[in-house]
Amino acid sequence: MFDLYRRLSGALGRSSGNDNASGNEARTDGGVVSDRSVPEPGSESDPGPLARVGAAVDRRLGSDFLESSLFWLPPFLLIALFVYGAIIWNLLISLTDYRGFANAPDYGNLDFEMYTRALADPGFIDAAVNTLILLVAFTGATLAVGLLLAILIDRGIRFENAFRTIYLLPMSLSFVVTAQFWLWMYNFNNGIVNLLLGTVGIGPISFLGDQTIVLWAVIFALMWQFSGYAMVVYLAGLRAIPTEHYEAAQVDGASTLKMYWRVIIPQLKGATISAAVVLMVFGMKAFDFLYSLVGGYRPPNGADILATKMVREAYANLNWAYGAAIAIVLFGMALAVIGPYLVYEYRRNNL
Amino acid sequence: MATLELDSVRKTFQDDSGEIVAVDDVSTAIDDGEFLVVVGPSGCGKSTMLRMVAGLESITSGTVSLNNRVINDVKSQDRDIAMVFQSYALYPHMSVRGNMSFGLEESTDLPDDQIAEMVSETAELLGISNLLERRPTDLSGGQQQRVALGRAIVRDPEVFLMDEPLSNLDAKLRAQMRTELQRLQEDLGVTTVYVTHDQTEAMTMGDRIAILNDGRLQQVATPLECYHEPANQFVAGFLGEPSMNFFDVRFERGVLVGDAFEYPLGPEVREALDGTTDLVLGIRPEDIELAETASNDHDFATTVDVVEPMGDENTVHLKFDEGVETMIATADGFTRISAGDDVVARIPAESIHVFDRETGEALRNRSLDSKTLSAALE
Repeated sequence: MFDLYRRLSGALGRSSGNDNASGNEARTDGGVVSDRSVPEPGSESDPGPLARVGAAVDRRLGSDFLESSLFWLPPFLLIALFVYGAIIWNLLISLTDYRGFANAPDYGNLDFEMYTRALADPGFIDAAVNTLILLVAFTGATLAVGLLLAILIDRGIRFENAFRTIYLLPMSLSFVVTAQFWLWMYNFNNGIVNLLLGTVGIGPISFLGDQTIVLWAVIFALMWQFSGYAMVVYLAGLRAIPTEHYEAAQVDGASTLKMYWRVIIPQLKGATISAAVVLMVFGMKAFDFLYSLVGGYRPPNGADILATKMVREAYANLNWAYGAAIAIVLFGMALAVIGPYLVYEYRRNNL
Repeated sequence: MATLELDSVRKTFQDDSGEIVAVDDVSTAIDDGEFLVVVGPSGCGKSTMLRMVAGLESITSGTVSLNNRVINDVKSQDRDIAMVFQSYALYPHMSVRGNMSFGLEESTDLPDDQIAEMVSETAELLGISNLLERRPTDLSGGQQQRVALGRAIVRDPEVFLMDEPLSNLDAKLRAQMRTELQRLQEDLGVTTVYVTHDQTEAMTMGDRIAILNDGRLQQVATPLECYHEPANQFVAGFLGEPSMNFFDVRFERGVLVGDAFEYPLGPEVREALDGTTDLVLGIRPEDIELAETASNDHDFATTVDVVEPMGDENTVHLKFDEGVETMIATADGFTRISAGDDVVARIPAESIHVFDRETGEALRNRSLDSKTLSAALE
């Protein structure tokens, strides 16, 4: 560290000449020292261990590695501690039996008991399955609706900008607001959805009370909120496709449907992947929505997901270690979503 | 095999400031197997005209017919035409093979193996067999151009439409593709409409050229006719590089009076003028002869302003000794001539063009040994 800061002061204050180090130390700051014209075998050939390490670091990581560390090192350390450090700490807790009001987890006895317990817990299995259904159905439906909206808007309709804003607006609402909003919409007695269904002789349906429907009702509400986002991503993708591709497909004899299916939509692969990743991450964070829907840690029967179960186990039931284990499973799922995306982007040289 | 006919075709666009006429009353017929080049400055409506034939642009009035069938309301999907775009418009997510077979898959019910066979035949014809599995982004500009051509050729359509297909290539490749395209069209015998702003392409490639300006058709004729017997001043000025010299003149007492010179006319030319007095005299640079001394009344004393050596010839900018008017002449590349020299420019009576200044219409074109011209046209 001493060497690092000496080098830093050397790099920053080279012109001021206040670095009064002499002989072999003067070399480490890379400055041209006048007395080098007379080689002194003893001091010159052995620049000292610190300088050698510094030179090795420079060779390996680029010449500005140490000098630039002032800028990247503090945020790097903060993130390392509070993000990655927290993940590792969480992993450790999940391996203990920490629960209740004990003062501190006992790190002396680490095992996978919490994970085996999770696999044997039907509540956990249900929550995991619900999370997967939510991820896949929500992402798929949102992408499909977003693509449809984007294509319709891209065909040059009137008031295009107004429509774009209207569709995108729900995304700016917080989960808390949309949850309250859909709570009213789905109300059994006088919710708009049931009133509308009543006019065609269906229902009323207890959307939030029936555990076979409630997950789909939640997915629909989330889709309503985020299809505008998918639309904007797709719209940007569509705008990047030259008009000649549409025209060439037309002249080639493709019907409008075929043109979109075979020529336009395949070119939206990049947009689909990036929108899907963002939507999946939102889907995993649906905790806020479910929490606000019922105002507590216990979502409607049939809509429990890993995020809600994790918080409930930890903070309502004080099963700290078990909650931590669920969190690690959720973390693994998030990695499984993000990882392939990062690899894809890396292969395309975007990272 | 098809004939294509445009009858009083008109296209207008609505704008904030009113109506913009892009194509105005264009009528022409293209014979079976003919190569028609549509040429004109940018914004003259030539691409719009092509897109109307392709069905990508609606027709405001008039009719487009293919094989005597009006196709105004036929969707471009059903017109059996193939188009080559300036940007090539290759589908980036498909291989070259996918690009070439797409049209056949969509427009015909041919079985897959037959499509594959047609694609490989066409690829062989164009020398791109080794590229079939590659993506368009991995190809050079010239290769992409070939694929775009192949995509059109493989469909064996009634009509080829080409919208400046060579303008994205470098000069050398363009010259090579020009020849190749001409040969291909001749071999395939497909009726072709080719849009370009490049007059070299227009002169060399087409059976006939159609010259468009401001949405109006100026002249449809063989390249040599257009060059030597232009219908009006626009055509005369558009074709030829360097372009024709024009002088505003008045016809007085059997003589053309300009700012810098007086040019006596023969009886034949005088008759052709038919009483019009405000005229434009035109002479092509290569028809101006440079001499040492003046010997008759068609010779004028000039000073050399600038010489542009091109190798095979020199482009010489001349200034009349009297007045401010200038003209361009081309001289043999071996002529020793430099700026400041005094030379005599001879404007031969048989080479002059005379246009009506008001309408631009050609009143008198250069006299040619008409046998030579018709022989050249045969």
